[in-house]
Amino acid sequence: MVDALRRAHRIATPDGIVVDLHPSPSAAVVEAGAIATGVVDSPDGQSRHAAADAAIAAVVAEGLFTIERSGAFAFCTYADTIEELRDYVEAHWRDARIDDATVIRTREAARDTPGARPRSRERVVMHVLRPRQP
Amino acid sequence: MPITEDPEGHEISALAAAVSFAGRRVLEIGCGEGRLTARYAPAAAAVLAIDPDADAIAHLAAERMPHVDARVLGVEQLDDPSLHADIVLFAWSL
Repeated sequence: MVDALRRAHRIATPDGIVVDLHPSPSAAVVEAGAIATGVVDSPDGQSRHAAADAAIAAVVAEGLFTIERSGAFAFCTYADTIEELRDYVEAHWRDARIDDATVIRTREAARDTPGARPRSRERVVMHVLRPRQP
Repeated sequence: MPITEDPEGHEISALAAAVSFAGRRVLEIGCGEGRLTARYAPAAAAVLAIDPDADAIAHLAAERMPHVDARVLGVEQLDDPSLHADIVLFAWSL
């Protein structure tokens, strides 16, 4: 990750910027309507996202970049059923799963909240990095 | 209804509040099928969108977005010393 950021530093024009978007290390929450029913189990993902945070901190400490701006937002993925969401997460996310207990709780919560589509909610962080010139 | 990602548009709103893509040359690393690319590319001057996943790049290329050059590449393969971009975007790929 640090190598990728160093490469980005070389590619960015002198007045350019590097923007990083990645999920925060906290687990994605599974919800139906306003009810949180569990989390997406992805220990590898959480350590990978923590490593991304560490890589940014490393290149800033190295003097390659300054952080010009940071922020965070919620990124939700909706499905018609919790089974559809579970299958999507397992097929498209790396090493991630929604366990059976969460599936059952979400199914029940969705039944009690007509019209609410099951969803995962991730917290995504954004950093705008300004390359420092030697 | 199929799977829908970020129908609220939080991602592009956050990005647009921080970055102006107008007239910029963009390198997007880890573009996947171009979910985010499609949202900012119309404003950009040129986009090089890369991802090591050939199927994802084929999907993006099939969209034939103006100004978007989609290539099967990993960041470690970006060795061209003449490659420069005003915005280097890591799209969930760091």
